[in-house]
Amino acid sequence: MNRIPETRIDEKAIKAWVISGLVLGLVWLAVPALAFYYSYKIEPIPQYILWSLLASMLVIYLVNALIVPKIRWQRWRYDITENEIDLQRGFIVRKRTVIPINRIQHVDTSQGPIYRKLSLSSVKISTAATTHEIPALDDETAADVRNKISLLVRKAKEDV
Amino acid sequence: MSEFKRQHPAAAVDQLFTLIRKNLVTFIILFFLSTRGNGNSIFLYIFFGSLVLSLVTGFLGWWLFTYRVHNDELQIKKGILVRKNLYLSKERIQVIDLTEGIVQRLFGLVKLEVKTAGSGTETATINAISRDEAERLRAELRGRSTTEVVAEVGEQSVDVIDDVLETWKLSKRDLMMAAITSGNFGLIASILGAISGQLDSFITEENLDFVIDHLPGASNVTLVIAVIVAIIVISWTLSFLGIVLKYSDFKVERTATDLIITSGLIERKHITVPYNRIQAIRFVEGVLRQPLGYGALYVESAGFEIKENERSITLLPYISKHEIQTFFKTFLPEYEQNELTIKPPKKALFKYIRRPNYLFLLLLPIAWYLFDYGWGILIFIPFFMYLGWVQFRDAGLNLSQNILTIRYRSLARVTAFIKQNRIQTIGQRVNPLQARRDLASLTVTAASGAKGIEFKIRDLDAGEVIEALNWAVDKRS
Repeated sequence: MNRIPETRIDEKAIKAWVISGLVLGLVWLAVPALAFYYSYKIEPIPQYILWSLLASMLVIYLVNALIVPKIRWQRWRYDITENEIDLQRGFIVRKRTVIPINRIQHVDTSQGPIYRKLSLSSVKISTAATTHEIPALDDETAADVRNKISLLVRKAKEDV
Repeated sequence: MSEFKRQHPAAAVDQLFTLIRKNLVTFIILFFLSTRGNGNSIFLYIFFGSLVLSLVTGFLGWWLFTYRVHNDELQIKKGILVRKNLYLSKERIQVIDLTEGIVQRLFGLVKLEVKTAGSGTETATINAISRDEAERLRAELRGRSTTEVVAEVGEQSVDVIDDVLETWKLSKRDLMMAAITSGNFGLIASILGAISGQLDSFITEENLDFVIDHLPGASNVTLVIAVIVAIIVISWTLSFLGIVLKYSDFKVERTATDLIITSGLIERKHITVPYNRIQAIRFVEGVLRQPLGYGALYVESAGFEIKENERSITLLPYISKHEIQTFFKTFLPEYEQNELTIKPPKKALFKYIRRPNYLFLLLLPIAWYLFDYGWGILIFIPFFMYLGWVQFRDAGLNLSQNILTIRYRSLARVTAFIKQNRIQTIGQRVNPLQARRDLASLTVTAASGAKGIEFKIRDLDAGEVIEALNWAVDKRS
């Protein structure tokens, strides 16, 4: 456990996150859009406020959609061993979570529309208290991981 | 082979009362609307209509609710429009509650609630059955099968399982002390504050002038202070009464397999927690209680409960920290109190002292902008620094053979005891500032209610956090 987890998630994750960032991130642009609308239809707002608002939101939108996914992918590592599942991720705060195998209650895989297009799946691991997700694994890898975990769980529970 | 049974008819009365209580506001509004008119207002019909409807629903609800214990399962059929079959297998049962509410007490009955683990399930409630019947059900539904227990205690009669081995009672004096020091009046104060916000329309200039004219020496400032004091006194009284009602005749009993907690003055509760369902133990020393050396002890179990404040079960409302070890020995032999040997290192001290002030720095410009003497809140800085120092002093961790002990403080000091094999997840958090100093925070999750409960200790030495992760996943022989 002294070594940090090594397995990376699929590199297509970056593409998937960029697409979803570009789509869902449009919410950021809704704020300046509303401000412009308000300014022209109801009560004028000073131009410099409008434009700086637009600029800052645009920057957030683009950074969030184009740069963050790359870093997020680089930071995501996981490992599955006989005794535990070890997850490490985090953009600014580095988070590491260790789930003892025999505490796991169930594992499942899921995919949304973007993941499906890129044939990616995420694996969800549930304990009695929490649910954890390994995002963006290749469909085949995800199925393998799921089967491996459920096999390990069965083995660990027989041991006890 | 047992047959499906109905509850005592009092269940219908209970359901009627519950319906009325839930829709009390609607009923009152309807009542006033209907009496205001000239006698044949449409609201009068609606009012009586809904009363009759509640009666019918109450009766039908009782008539269509049947239950039995069969094949180690509690089976319940219920529902008026949508029929529901609820099957709870007894291996899944976490907690069994018996409650005597007001209606139940009138008829000498109890309410039985069976809680299972995990989300998506629900609590099975049988609203009104006789005490004997409830005891019989409880005996049938306990966490372990009878054969299992017989194998363990030998061939003695099965009654042995029910024998009370130890009893712990809350003395009158401790009940009073618990009520006096109950910390949750802050919550009630905020509720009252919200209510007084609603009263704005009554606090007009004229009314204020009237009060000021008639109370000698009253000014705006004294009035504000008076209102604050009044809110604190009222909320403290409410909280005092709440604790007295809830924990009167409080008693913990121990049998071979369960802890049984009984308490309450008007509504008597009777909670059975099987030993093998205990997820964690939590000792909370409130701000008012800690100086006296006292706190409250809670049990976390994985029974299904959505409401945050009902997830944990109070094991002891008021106990001295020196008595915990003795209590563990007699009632929770698998738990122990250990010295917290792993502490945050000295280099973390400044982080602790700074942290409570962060929020404050956000507030400062707002206060400065809004109030004449807004910068005056700066006088709170030493207080927050002190809080940070106390948080640093109290934080600690111990990893013994089987028990993880973790202590931390936000305002109240919390000490949690978790068995190694009850740790659901354990994690490490490192922010950039911590990374520079080789520090890390540790989070430990145990199951509690439908969700988990997280315990967190900040700024430990990174190496010691890794050690804790290793300890948690290590297989015990």
